[in-house]
Amino acid sequence: MKRWMLIVTVLAIASLALVACPQPTPQVIEKTVVVTKEVEKVVTKEVEKVVTQVVTKEVEKIITQEIVKTVEVTPEKGRCAPETFAELDKMEKPVIKIGVPVPLSAPGSVTGGQAMQIAANIAVNHINENGGIMGKYPIDVVFYDTSGLPERGRAGAEYLITEECVAAIAGEYHSAAGVQEKEIAHKYGVLAIFAETWNDKITAAQYPEVFRIAPASSMVAQADAKFFSDLGVSWVAIVAENTDYGVPASEATKERLADLGIESEIYLAEQGTQDFSALVSRVLQDVQQREGKKGVLTLITGETSYNFEQQAVEGGLAPAEDLIFVANQVAANHTEFWANVPDGNYMTFRRVGVVPALTKDNPVAQRFIEDYKKATKDPDRFPESYAFEQYDALMLVAYAIEKAGSLKTADLIAALEALDSRENGYQGAQGVYYFKYGVSRPVPEGEPEWMWHQWPDPAILFLQYWSDGQPVDEACVIWPEHYQTCGTDYVVPGTEPPVKP
Amino acid sequence: MWPIPDILLDINFFQITSSYIFRLILEGLLIGIIYSLMALGLTLIFSVLNIVSFAHGEFYMIGGYVVYVLLTRFKGMPGLVGIVVAALVTFLIGAVFERLFLQPMAKGKVDRPSEYAILVTFGLSFFLQFVLLGIMGPFPKKAPRFWSFPPIDLGVIRTTKATLFLGNIPLSGGRIFAAIIALLALGAMLWFMFRTWTGWALQAVSQDRNAAAVVGINPLTMNTLAFALGAMLAGLAGAVLVTVFSWVPWVGVPASAKSFVIIVLGGMGSIPGSLVGGLILGVVESLGTGLFPDPARAQAYRDVFGLIIFALVLWLKPTGLFGREL
Repeated sequence: MKRWMLIVTVLAIASLALVACPQPTPQVIEKTVVVTKEVEKVVTKEVEKVVTQVVTKEVEKIITQEIVKTVEVTPEKGRCAPETFAELDKMEKPVIKIGVPVPLSAPGSVTGGQAMQIAANIAVNHINENGGIMGKYPIDVVFYDTSGLPERGRAGAEYLITEECVAAIAGEYHSAAGVQEKEIAHKYGVLAIFAETWNDKITAAQYPEVFRIAPASSMVAQADAKFFSDLGVSWVAIVAENTDYGVPASEATKERLADLGIESEIYLAEQGTQDFSALVSRVLQDVQQREGKKGVLTLITGETSYNFEQQAVEGGLAPAEDLIFVANQVAANHTEFWANVPDGNYMTFRRVGVVPALTKDNPVAQRFIEDYKKATKDPDRFPESYAFEQYDALMLVAYAIEKAGSLKTADLIAALEALDSRENGYQGAQGVYYFKYGVSRPVPEGEPEWMWHQWPDPAILFLQYWSDGQPVDEACVIWPEHYQTCGTDYVVPGTEPPVKP
Repeated sequence: MWPIPDILLDINFFQITSSYIFRLILEGLLIGIIYSLMALGLTLIFSVLNIVSFAHGEFYMIGGYVVYVLLTRFKGMPGLVGIVVAALVTFLIGAVFERLFLQPMAKGKVDRPSEYAILVTFGLSFFLQFVLLGIMGPFPKKAPRFWSFPPIDLGVIRTTKATLFLGNIPLSGGRIFAAIIALLALGAMLWFMFRTWTGWALQAVSQDRNAAAVVGINPLTMNTLAFALGAMLAGLAGAVLVTVFSWVPWVGVPASAKSFVIIVLGGMGSIPGSLVGGLILGVVESLGTGLFPDPARAQAYRDVFGLIIFALVLWLKPTGLFGREL
């Protein structure tokens, strides 16, 4: 018995140790490459006449030419979704299936996953209410719980494409899972629209099948750095999760901060960590050793961020005049935030995507917001950015199928790439979607690689609570300046804003 | 106004202040006391039933949820009442489970009892997690704090709602309260084990079941009592921590893993071992995270620091710090 116990204990410990180690994710990148090819060899004989003698020289001249060669990968067999409407018509129930990978269990953000599940169901209702795509093909979504883990993301995408026969994939919250899902989507040549995965690699791989309507980490890092810079912060503690989202996001933020002359330090924590007391002590120690304004940036997702934020306040790392504390974006879910971070007043948080004020003139958004409040049975709940993104990702897939009049991935890609500017874009709940670069318009030199099939206009705002238990609608938008709703870029703790929204 | 003692001032050596080290140790001790309470329950179960309960973390989780439900449904209910109810509920669930699923093993009605015990407690663990997921949902919950500090400023000691400052060392009020309750529970448990007839009976069964039976102790009753008490101690740990951490149905998994480390570290079945092991683990994790040279990795390696001590103890003293010699 004791031996059994020892074996099980040692195994448990080994797995804990493994979890603590960062695991690099292997990936294969297929992209357009430029090769230099020898195309012609010209040999000429020149006769030089010299006064005293005649010399014959053989001159060899190699002419080279640059050829643009596209590396193409033929999709592997295994995809089972119908590719034509004729095939679909032969089915007993002609339904177009779309795969929705989301985290619905730990260590993933269940909060995020459930919100996305609700949003996806609303999208299905909206698409199917008039008979579905082209008025006769209803869609059906198949959810897969990825737990935010790379291996489950990979397995989930494989399952959805080869077993559930989905025509496209639309969803995902965690980059760790998304980075793997994109490989599988590419392997089988299936359209994938990523809703809330920020890792640059997702679109930087430049796979024809992969689109993203969330911002890339580098876009957010740029906004974070600018926010701190505008507030005059001189040093930032970046507390990030040790995942495919947190590590690159923290590194990108550190670089952008350095570009603006701001020093920073990265502190990584495992996803799902509960006790942050020692880390809080460490950050506080570092904060106290710096002069001037300091910042704390939380790049930990989901419910784990609540533990860090509340423990930070209890540990003396509370927002102050000279300490700007940026909570994770889930702080926008005010009911849950105040229940879990009761001392979180005056925390700022980044909101990617729209705020209520920006949705007033958008009927698509208004309809979605109304249905979301009904579905969550919470009349005060404004949809989170990931809920908006999940809804829009599914609506975009439906739009692409309808527009292409086909189920072939190449046709769907062409339909989405035709949305090439804001004027030609697709009106979603979150904004007008368009994709500047892709197969038909390669990313030009000087633009980042992740701009491939990347929606360039996600709104990135910073908000701040200034009263205990405040609803998110009443929080101040403090950055960027032209969106400010309280007439200030920071509400100093203990005070009220000059203008109340 | 009292003067601030030297240790609470910043005496700087190698850019690390004495107050910082002191703070890390205090924080380690506070959480270590809760670890000890958890591990004591597991030790009790192991020493009497000779099985490892893989559902230990789920009793911790249930304890927290009971307090959360009571304090949010019945506004104004004292936290201590919630804690007592949580202890009773986990005690009862533990007793019923032991009677239904573990007694057949003790009575010899089960083939391969060691494997059976692992499977049945694993089964209970998953069952409880998913039942609570169904009832409470996946969203994080947190009970309102048991009390808020009144505003005090005595120089060396001052308070905010959630924090007590000793000099310039901030300590979480929720953790202080949790540690005090845990200390009281540990004291009560030790008194019960070493000063009451039933406690002696439990110890007797843990040492020799047959000899205990000869002197009139019913080992089956002691099995039920030990499992229920073990579950109750885990439930108590959860009940006091639900105001400190956000609570989800899988919150018990890491807590359970730490308990396993502690009981092996302290010595399997040793009550003093689980007490000392918990404190060591808490302090080592805290100091490791606070002092590891690379700040980027310090928190991510938190579990590793405890495991290094664990591996060293196993290497130098395979029976654990207070384990019985084989």
